[in-house]
Amino acid sequence: MSLFYFVAFLSVFFSLLVIFSKNPVHSVLYLILTFFTFTIHYFLLNAQFLGIVNFIVYMGAILVLFLYTLMLMNLNQETEPVKSNLLKVIGVIAGGCLLVTLIASLKVSGNSEMVILKDPNLGLVKNLGKVLFNQFLLPFEVSSILLFSAMVGAVLLAKKES
Amino acid sequence: MGSLISISVLAIIVLYLGLYRVNKALLPVTVIGLVVAAGFAVAQWNTVARPIYSGMMLFDHYAIAFSVICILSTILIILLSKNYFERISAHVAEYYAIILFSLAGIIVMVSYHNLTMLFIGIEIMSVSLYILAGIKKRDFGSNEAALKYFLMGAFSTGFLLFGIALIYGTTGSFDLEVIRDYILSNPRDISFLFYTGILLMIVGLCFKVGAAPFHFWTPDVYEGSPTLITAYMATVVKTAGFAAFLRLFAVCFAPLSDFWTPSLLIITIITLFIGNITALYQHNFKRMLAFSSISHVGYMLFAIVAIGAASANAVFIYATAYSIASIIAFGVLMLVQQQTGNSSFDNFNGLGKSNPFLAFVLTISMLSLAGIPLTAGFIGKFFMFSRALSQYQIWLTVLAVINAIIAIFYYFRVIIAMYFNQEERTAISIPGNVSFVLGIAALITLIIGIYPGFIAHII
Repeated sequence: MSLFYFVAFLSVFFSLLVIFSKNPVHSVLYLILTFFTFTIHYFLLNAQFLGIVNFIVYMGAILVLFLYTLMLMNLNQETEPVKSNLLKVIGVIAGGCLLVTLIASLKVSGNSEMVILKDPNLGLVKNLGKVLFNQFLLPFEVSSILLFSAMVGAVLLAKKES
Repeated sequence: MGSLISISVLAIIVLYLGLYRVNKALLPVTVIGLVVAAGFAVAQWNTVARPIYSGMMLFDHYAIAFSVICILSTILIILLSKNYFERISAHVAEYYAIILFSLAGIIVMVSYHNLTMLFIGIEIMSVSLYILAGIKKRDFGSNEAALKYFLMGAFSTGFLLFGIALIYGTTGSFDLEVIRDYILSNPRDISFLFYTGILLMIVGLCFKVGAAPFHFWTPDVYEGSPTLITAYMATVVKTAGFAAFLRLFAVCFAPLSDFWTPSLLIITIITLFIGNITALYQHNFKRMLAFSSISHVGYMLFAIVAIGAASANAVFIYATAYSIASIIAFGVLMLVQQQTGNSSFDNFNGLGKSNPFLAFVLTISMLSLAGIPLTAGFIGKFFMFSRALSQYQIWLTVLAVINAIIAIFYYFRVIIAMYFNQEERTAISIPGNVSFVLGIAALITLIIGIYPGFIAHII
């Protein structure tokens, strides 16, 4: 339990650093650390597959891509559009409303019972595969259309016009 | 299921036709394939619908009716596209393929029985549309439309997904019937996370259909995208979005209607007023159509606010009437744009003399969108208003009637420009396929308007 609290503290700490650091590159680096703490959470919950996917795909691929994009863009302070104070206040109010709703619903729903998994090995690749290829076969197959469409579109947009 | 498979296979066949450079065959093959897909859907009409693939999809009458209307509207729009994509780029086959992929997503959206399928369907449709909005690579407006749509769409998907996650967290299932049974079996102590989930899903879905506080992307995206794609977004996509919205709320959340009706009611009223009043001030026909589409979303939301057994039919009729009329409007707009280069109202001056046919069908379309009797739009509005009155939403109906009167102003502006503003102009030559589509669509509008009986009780 103390390990959980330590990791949870790190998650919150690093995600705050993501928002508050001035340099966007530092922000992304902190985001990588945040995702790393999430990976630890997944392992603590015995969801190995999800943990590994989070590690490889989110930390490895997506965020490194993010980092490169940020480095290629010109993000100096002069080019940054200045946001007016009114906009900031509106943003805080809107975000705060969502936060209040979420926290209120969490509070009202009260302390939940400790969830005891019927099958402690639920998060293993083997069990996930069984669910994916039995119950969720159709969504799994249909998402191939999504990927294919995105692929055709990416090629279409990137191709040079002859 | 047959229609989903045939549309997906058709898209791949179209890609192969493009590979072997048989560009002449693209349009006929696509249209024949879509007719086959519609045939598969209709063939299931008399079978007993059961959830298939462990409760993932359900092809009931509702799903079949909306699939068929979406496929038919797509056929009409694709018939308008002859020689349209060729002017943009040489890779025509890919455009047809991406439109077909998004249609496959739409079939999933209207027939889902599980929230995972809803999500995947919406994503397939949206990702294809982000691409289609930006296919004019050299055009600044098109780039802006694609980027804006993509960023806003990705953001709203987050809300939708968060909502689905919260609902899954409380009920333990993605299945629509299990979620409904959860509400019915413990009406007293439903977890508050479930309510938050409903609100987040309302936000996500309202964004996808373009309802008012979440409509900011609509005018820019509709204006910047190529007109043919705008026609597709304003008709087929909107119909599918509403079908998905209504299916979720009619099957799952109807027992909790006391909770979400007030928020949807406010969204409806804001949508009506923002759409109509902003449309009054537009000088650009395409932008006016974008705002008018927002106001039509408001009318369609009536069916969800006053949810009941007849809601499905009301949405079906309204969406059909609105789609057919919008296809005419966008078809005429495409021709006018080709002649004059932009889409301001002044370009319609004198059209009544130079092209009586175009002016006549556009008049029918505008009358139908405004809801004048003897057109399909009137029947649609009639069903929606009677839905609202059946739930004693008298004030909502009064506000909606006020809005319908406002709408007449801006729809008639086009008619006045065509018939009463004199201007010498050369006649626009109308290709055969376009006049076929316009004629058919105008005919359907009049038939539904004069004799609504055959479509009124279809679901």
